[in-house]
Amino acid sequence: MANRVRPRRASSIARLSPRVSRRRDAKSGRREMTIAGGDADASAMQFFYFHLMPWPYLPRDFDRAYDSAWVTLPNRLYDPKRGHQLYNEYLDELEHAERIGFDGLCVNEHHQNAYGTMPSPNLMAAALARRTSRAKLAIIGNAIGLRDHPLRVAEEIAMLDVLSGGRIISGFVRGIGCEHLSLGVNPSYSRERFYEAHDLILRAWRDPGPFTFEGKHYQVRYANIWPRPLQQPHPPVWLPSQGSPETIAFGARHRYPFVSVFTPYANAKRLLTEYREEAERLGYRAAPSQLGFAVPTYVASSDARARSEVKPHLLWLFRRGLKIPPHFLAPPGYLSEDTLRRFLLAGVRAPGELSFEQLEREGYVLVGSPRTVRDRLAEIQKDLGIGVFVGGGRIGNMSHDKAVRSAELFAREVIPHFRQHTARTAAPRRGAGARR
Amino acid sequence: MAHRSDFHDIRGVRTHMLKGGRGRPLLVLHPEFGANTWAPYHDLLAAHFHVLAPDHLGFGESERPDWLDSIDDLVFHYVDLLDALGIDRLPIVGASLGGWIAAAFAIAHPERVERLVLAAPAGIKVDGVPRYDLFANPIEDVLRHLFHDPMRAAQVLPAEYGPEVIVRAYHEFTTLARLAWNPYLYDRKLEQRLPRVQAPTLIVWGENDAILPLAHAKAFAALLPYASLKILPECGHLVPFERADAFAKLAIDFLTA
Repeated sequence: MANRVRPRRASSIARLSPRVSRRRDAKSGRREMTIAGGDADASAMQFFYFHLMPWPYLPRDFDRAYDSAWVTLPNRLYDPKRGHQLYNEYLDELEHAERIGFDGLCVNEHHQNAYGTMPSPNLMAAALARRTSRAKLAIIGNAIGLRDHPLRVAEEIAMLDVLSGGRIISGFVRGIGCEHLSLGVNPSYSRERFYEAHDLILRAWRDPGPFTFEGKHYQVRYANIWPRPLQQPHPPVWLPSQGSPETIAFGARHRYPFVSVFTPYANAKRLLTEYREEAERLGYRAAPSQLGFAVPTYVASSDARARSEVKPHLLWLFRRGLKIPPHFLAPPGYLSEDTLRRFLLAGVRAPGELSFEQLEREGYVLVGSPRTVRDRLAEIQKDLGIGVFVGGGRIGNMSHDKAVRSAELFAREVIPHFRQHTARTAAPRRGAGARR
Repeated sequence: MAHRSDFHDIRGVRTHMLKGGRGRPLLVLHPEFGANTWAPYHDLLAAHFHVLAPDHLGFGESERPDWLDSIDDLVFHYVDLLDALGIDRLPIVGASLGGWIAAAFAIAHPERVERLVLAAPAGIKVDGVPRYDLFANPIEDVLRHLFHDPMRAAQVLPAEYGPEVIVRAYHEFTTLARLAWNPYLYDRKLEQRLPRVQAPTLIVWGENDAILPLAHAKAFAALLPYASLKILPECGHLVPFERADAFAKLAIDFLTA
């Protein structure tokens, strides 16, 4: 548990040590804690531990008897007593990830499904805020357009930022197609609502209140949020996405880190390349800290062992957790017609139709011995130019013990390699590109 | 019967219309399926009328302006269209979505509507009677629900679903979502306003309607002051497509009485 990260700079030792940070916190309050968020770009690679909080106890006849793990999967299949135990295990795993050296912990929003039982990631971030002291808390993200009013997100993120001492990263997503059905939100306005909600939230964080906002979807005459966020001008905004050209252009324009999520490696590369090119068109160079890659990751003592251990859980994730028929995935207007046409013409196969070997080959998962994962990750870092890696996590119906073992191996055998790498190379590059 | 295809610029919005037949003008408003289609029921009506069958905005070949998000927008659009055509007053036939638009038009502009024929119009809800969800079901299932007789479906629908057909259907369903996602296929004001309709109205409903079950027929008819209701046996939701002969005969008898 005490495999703490070897820090890069003497000055950051205190900042990175939860113990020191807690002591200072007790003495002098929040001011020292704000430093925790200060050096995100000092390392060439930031490591985030990701959790979906899945519902693993699907019935034996799930494959045959249910069309989807979303929308219509009857909620009588959720057992709150087992849920109590699971939530606490999941939070334990996230807290443990901080102790073993991850830079950040990721939670995210999904509604009314077995894939991820976290309808309010902000609640989980609140729980983590009190039980962690160093790690960034990355909410990737709030589905801002699904909310009745985005000011609620602006307020909750500000609360979390103040509570956590400025450790919040605020991801914004549209919410997936299913969730528009589950919450009765018109998918044909999904994109409009996303952009408008974004504009309102950013103004609420940045602009002195009260101010008036009169959009097409949201109106408020006295926007004036209390509390305001601790990080100024606002907590970092991330865009986790499977990538449409619109989202990439939007991200590059605002210089929001783009995190490619659960997509084949070739697609992730295309998206991140598009982002970089878009940035260049806008006249700047995208920093590694703006480029992220999220992939289920599993490490065991050998490649063979890692593969055989993770296989059932990865297949659970893609074949059960992500069992989503097209009419749930893309309700009318959720996709742009161009995106739909591209999908149809490309004949994209759903990951649930792929074998484990195909999933691994296409880069839907990063799996192997520490050495294999380390080498592959070094290649990925070089190839994609990423500075944010989102991995780890308890995949599908994986047991707590397996998830913890894999995370520990990753933290002990993989992460330090990138810290040392940074120590060798960071000095000449410091100051270049970092924006936050 | 010969028909032709015309484009009109209505306040800057490209509007496509099929036209055919001779006689007095008759506005025919298509349901959520079958835009830009000259179907057998058009032919039958065109034997008695000059049929004007526009594609609703966002359907067929008509443009979808950014501002389009309500049935009222289409009512205003059809007022403009009639003005552009120099037509003051005429009978209107509308099915499902088209029936909803026709009813809303007749509420807002009673002086311009001679008679109304509504085939399974959308626009109201009946408590306790579920409407089938067109937005959240597999396309094969949607098609099964639209027709009572699957053979009819096969005659009306595209033989193949290539990418362009799917993208086109997605485009039209996106328009439908803008108009009718929430509340789903109804407007709570319509129920309150239907008693304002002055035009004599014929409502035709398929006995086996699996989209808007028959309870809607009775409720709709009860709200209109001058309405009669005909129920067609062996018929699903898309009445004019599934029972073209029977529907056209009822409509023509009513409109020419």
